[in-house]
Amino acid sequence: MSSVEISVEAPIEHQIQEIAYDGTEIYQPPLTLSENLSKCAARIDFSKTSLEDLKKEDDKKGDEDVKDPTQLQSSLWPWDSVRNKLRDAFTEICVLSDVLSIAKEKRYLVLDPVPQELQDTKPMVQVYARKKALSQAANVLMSGAERLRNTHSEQRNNRNDFHIELLRLRQNWRLKKVSNTIIGDLSYRTAGSKFMHPGTFEVTKAEEDPPSDGNSPSSSPAAGAQPPCPKANSALRVNVPSELQGVAYIKVITQKDQEDLCTANVNLMGHGQNITPQVGVWQKTLEFAQNVLFCKELFSQLAREAIQLQAPIPHVVVGNQIRATLLPGIQLIISLCHSTGQDPTPPGPINDHDHVLEHSLHQLLREVHHKNTHHPFPHPASGPLGPSKKHMLAGPMAADRHELLEMSKSQTLLEQIISQAQHIFMRKRTQYVLDTLARDVKDPQIVSHWNLMNSPTMSCVKINIVTHGYDTINRTSLVIHVKERSLKCICRDGRVMHLSYEPQELRDLILCQINQHQSACLLNLAKCMAWQVLSNSNHLGIGPVEPLGNASSCLLASPNGDRMIAVQIICDPQIDVKVYIARSPRQDFFPSPLVPGKFWEHLGGHFKEVRFDKLEGKNFLNKMEFLMASLTSSS
Amino acid sequence: MTSRALPQSKEALLKSYNTRLKDDVKSMLDNFEEIVKLAKGEGDSQLSKITQCEQDTYEMQVRAANIVRAGESLMKLVSDIKQYLILNDFHSVNEAITANSQLFRSTQVDCDKKLTTLRDEMALDLYDLEEEYYTSIYK
Repeated sequence: MSSVEISVEAPIEHQIQEIAYDGTEIYQPPLTLSENLSKCAARIDFSKTSLEDLKKEDDKKGDEDVKDPTQLQSSLWPWDSVRNKLRDAFTEICVLSDVLSIAKEKRYLVLDPVPQELQDTKPMVQVYARKKALSQAANVLMSGAERLRNTHSEQRNNRNDFHIELLRLRQNWRLKKVSNTIIGDLSYRTAGSKFMHPGTFEVTKAEEDPPSDGNSPSSSPAAGAQPPCPKANSALRVNVPSELQGVAYIKVITQKDQEDLCTANVNLMGHGQNITPQVGVWQKTLEFAQNVLFCKELFSQLAREAIQLQAPIPHVVVGNQIRATLLPGIQLIISLCHSTGQDPTPPGPINDHDHVLEHSLHQLLREVHHKNTHHPFPHPASGPLGPSKKHMLAGPMAADRHELLEMSKSQTLLEQIISQAQHIFMRKRTQYVLDTLARDVKDPQIVSHWNLMNSPTMSCVKINIVTHGYDTINRTSLVIHVKERSLKCICRDGRVMHLSYEPQELRDLILCQINQHQSACLLNLAKCMAWQVLSNSNHLGIGPVEPLGNASSCLLASPNGDRMIAVQIICDPQIDVKVYIARSPRQDFFPSPLVPGKFWEHLGGHFKEVRFDKLEGKNFLNKMEFLMASLTSSS
Repeated sequence: MTSRALPQSKEALLKSYNTRLKDDVKSMLDNFEEIVKLAKGEGDSQLSKITQCEQDTYEMQVRAANIVRAGESLMKLVSDIKQYLILNDFHSVNEAITANSQLFRSTQVDCDKKLTTLRDEMALDLYDLEEEYYTSIYK
């Protein structure tokens, strides 16, 4: 069948539309070209796109052709169905484009690939996989838990917990939290300081250093026999600003013509020795830093005052040194030593006065601090807190301008320390003068008793001049008040003498007192011996001019009046005594034309000098006693 | 403590501590529940089983790590609260200051007493010694 090709053609005759009863066939008029086109177009099924579909459709066309013309004819317009179908297609295209745009936008719709149906896995594999997953998760959990437990137990076992240390730090220092860091305060501002330095330090957690962990807990409770090495066993670290690191102290030197007289070092380094064992090593660091701050404040205050003060010899501030003149030729040098090195170098030689000046400087600034915070009561409800009680009373008491000016005068730190240094110097000088005199003058003994109660600028010494063995006969005592630049001597008879800082004045005064002591003693002794005092003068106006005032003298007569002793006590730089004796009337009297009667002999006469140093006796009074006794007994 | 009128920031800080605590505990619980759910394995997903297993494994690990993280966060919270307490517990600080000042005062009184007795004894002895020294020939 396939070999024979048969062509099927449409017959070339018109289709019969109807056959009339008379047998005439009415032919359908043949379709025009446009009709044919529209018919063909109407046949297109737009819903079928593929070629196969078209082919299949071709088979069925025969049946449909029957109906189609009716539809065709029923429709108003031959292209109507085509138009409808095109419009449907257009609608579909629009929808497609919308969907595409929505899918592309990904705002409203996300397209997921639809998986194909998978190959089936065995349930046991899933179980194993899940088991493995669970065990891995459990491992993560276990390791995390282990880490937590470790840190916890470490905190519990380790005595150096950060928080414990922080608590101790908090109990001793001011701390506050600023965002994520803990800031501490070293300054003395709460104690009344007005120093501008912030004086803050930072507290951080120390990083772990494993090698020191083993020995630190064993060594730290061991009574602190040796200081534990820093940072070894502290969970806490303090960061002190670099300008406060190291060790600082204030050195005070009194210099006389470039020669050191006394030195003082203000350092509070010994202060931190007795750290209670539960306080960490940071305590020492902080104390050093605070000490540095204190020294800096002290020095800046002193330097400011040194510049402001109007001294007769101006103070000099050069670098870290203040020079002030105490007394002529004597200088006070205050210098700030700040060593930032790690190892604190031991300060230089410390004299006896070390602690005194150190303490006073320290105390003076503390006092200023104290005054800044402690205002005298009652506090005014309105008005400034500053003025002192005196000032507040000035109004009610109607003080005048002079009094107010007096009140406003206050001594600065530098003035106070200078006056203290001056006093120390004066005291040393007075001691030296008294001791050399006591050493040099053997005969009347000079005993000086220093008063134990004294103030930094005032001390007191009591001087007794006695003669050994004759204490009861006479005792010359005087009191010397040693002030800053002057001395005040109060004698027993009420005389008050003011001396300057020159040591020679004191020396002269004491020599003069010795002189008077000797003569007063002699008078008393003569009374005891029943000798008569014929004359007595403390200031003998005759004889050679003495370097120190005049010699004193007295003239004694024996009980029966036949012998006389003349004593001259010379107050040379050395006490010198000259004794003369005279006898009247002489035993052997020969009347002469010039002296006819014996009674003339009573006028007294030839004094002969006694070689006093050859006399028996331990001292002047003793010798005099012997002399008087021998002269009395012989008569 | 909360009855006192705290400053705004302190109040907020305390509240944040509270929320941190709750968040962390909640995170631990949630993550644990999720792990258990994953272990049940009711996967109705369209993924292939192998992929699903891998995903579950990974998710479990991440959730376990989340639990650990929450635990460490709790530790951090504890440490923060301790720090806050230490830094802001003015009551105990005042106590410490009072104790310290009492200690120092008593030490001061003690030292003063000792110094005074020492001074008195020295004064007496010194008087005699001065007397002896100035009347002797050795000076």
